[in-house]
Amino acid sequence: MISPNEPGRPPSAHDSPGGVDLGRVWAGVAAEVWRRHPGWLERTAARLLRSPGLARALLTTPSLLLPWLISTVVVLGIGALVSLGPGQPLVWLVAPAVAAVGIAFAYGPGIDPAWELSSSCAVSDRMVLLTRAVAVFALNAVLGLLASAASGAAVALTFGWLIPMTAVCALALAAAVAARSASVGAAAGVAAWVITVLAGQTAGGQLTASVTNAHAYLPYLAVAACCAAVVIYATRPERGLQ
Amino acid sequence: MNVVLTGIHRSFGKNKAVDGVDLQLGTGVFGLLGPNGAGKTSLLRMLATVLPPSSGEILLLGRDPRRPAGRRETRRRLGYLPQNLGYYPSFTVVEFIEYFALLKEMPSSAVPKAVATAVERVDLGAKAKAKLRTLSGGMLRRVGIAQAIVNDPGLLLLDEPTAGLDPEQRVQFRALMRSLGESATVVVSTHLVEDVGAACSEVALMSAGKLVFRGTPGELTARGEGHGVGDAPLERGYSAVLSAARS
Repeated sequence: MISPNEPGRPPSAHDSPGGVDLGRVWAGVAAEVWRRHPGWLERTAARLLRSPGLARALLTTPSLLLPWLISTVVVLGIGALVSLGPGQPLVWLVAPAVAAVGIAFAYGPGIDPAWELSSSCAVSDRMVLLTRAVAVFALNAVLGLLASAASGAAVALTFGWLIPMTAVCALALAAAVAARSASVGAAAGVAAWVITVLAGQTAGGQLTASVTNAHAYLPYLAVAACCAAVVIYATRPERGLQ
Repeated sequence: MNVVLTGIHRSFGKNKAVDGVDLQLGTGVFGLLGPNGAGKTSLLRMLATVLPPSSGEILLLGRDPRRPAGRRETRRRLGYLPQNLGYYPSFTVVEFIEYFALLKEMPSSAVPKAVATAVERVDLGAKAKAKLRTLSGGMLRRVGIAQAIVNDPGLLLLDEPTAGLDPEQRVQFRALMRSLGESATVVVSTHLVEDVGAACSEVALMSAGKLVFRGTPGELTARGEGHGVGDAPLERGYSAVLSAARS
């Protein structure tokens, strides 16, 4: 390891008689050699998100293989349940929360090996998680569109779940970037989704039935309890690291 | 003062990990010693703004990290090497360091040169384009050190930085710490008292969540004269202070 400012350091090959700092020159050369040239998508995302760091997080989301697989399974599984089943309004309302918890666990302290380091960075870890959610839904929506050519179920899943959720996550991220607050973004996304679902259900006359159906209360409570448990587990302080 | 802690407590359930720590630090290399479970890592995590204190006041680089603006500004000038740093196996050395430089909100135009400088300072130039999954444990530790120093931090927090480094690399790393400590506050948590003796201008010893000693390595050595157990003078001072604190 090189420490150029070390007091008492003897003259080395890095120092030239003319006083040129060859170490600095070499760093400039190395920077050019090792420089990564972002593609148009990353440059565009950096401008839209006002953050090269968030743009990099967006583009690298699928490359973190285990979190990607877990969050994709969660998102597609929940999507299949809600879009292919009969669909109660409260199920539609709870489903995005379950998906968000799954993504937060996979790309958060549950699985992400560098989560603690990310949490110490200036770009908020919650903003990074919102960005990851957009990437997960958007890429799965693209894959769903491709699969729609071959399967009717894929059409329902893609147009009934993946594309709307991509739009909601994108709206949440846009609001978060504009307000510089992930909490504001999440609130905007939740509000948009609740309004959309309730408006649709009210128009179809199903809202009252879903709320007054006593048989549905137990499943609702079970899902809510599971979500709460996962959130508490995923956001716990790590006791073993004291 | 770059670090001002006043009455810091942190509990996990009934367990008091940090119990009333007061500390003020300027530039220099500050060693944090103590046995397992003494609270070193919890204290370092609070300094890294990863873990909020249960009570007490923290000022880092002149800002209050409890406020969002102060936290963000502090984090821009913070370097942190966690004890258990995970890696993204599919990233190259340069990609990993660059990713965290961007998350620290360094200006994009300054990132390539800063990354190259950090890579060279930890002597990983030959592996700059290698995937992290192909590196040894010592090389991965040096990648962690590189990402911590890439933004030229005003406050550098290193938790067991020399774990996994071979003796030659440890000697070089101590020189790097001394160099960084000329312009920044470097806090090093370690079990290795020889690292403290060689690199730190000041040292503190933690036991059961409390600071039980603060002084220079020479003063810690003096505490062990005629007392304590250990092969080296500093180890004898360490064990003498710990014994006194426990009794």
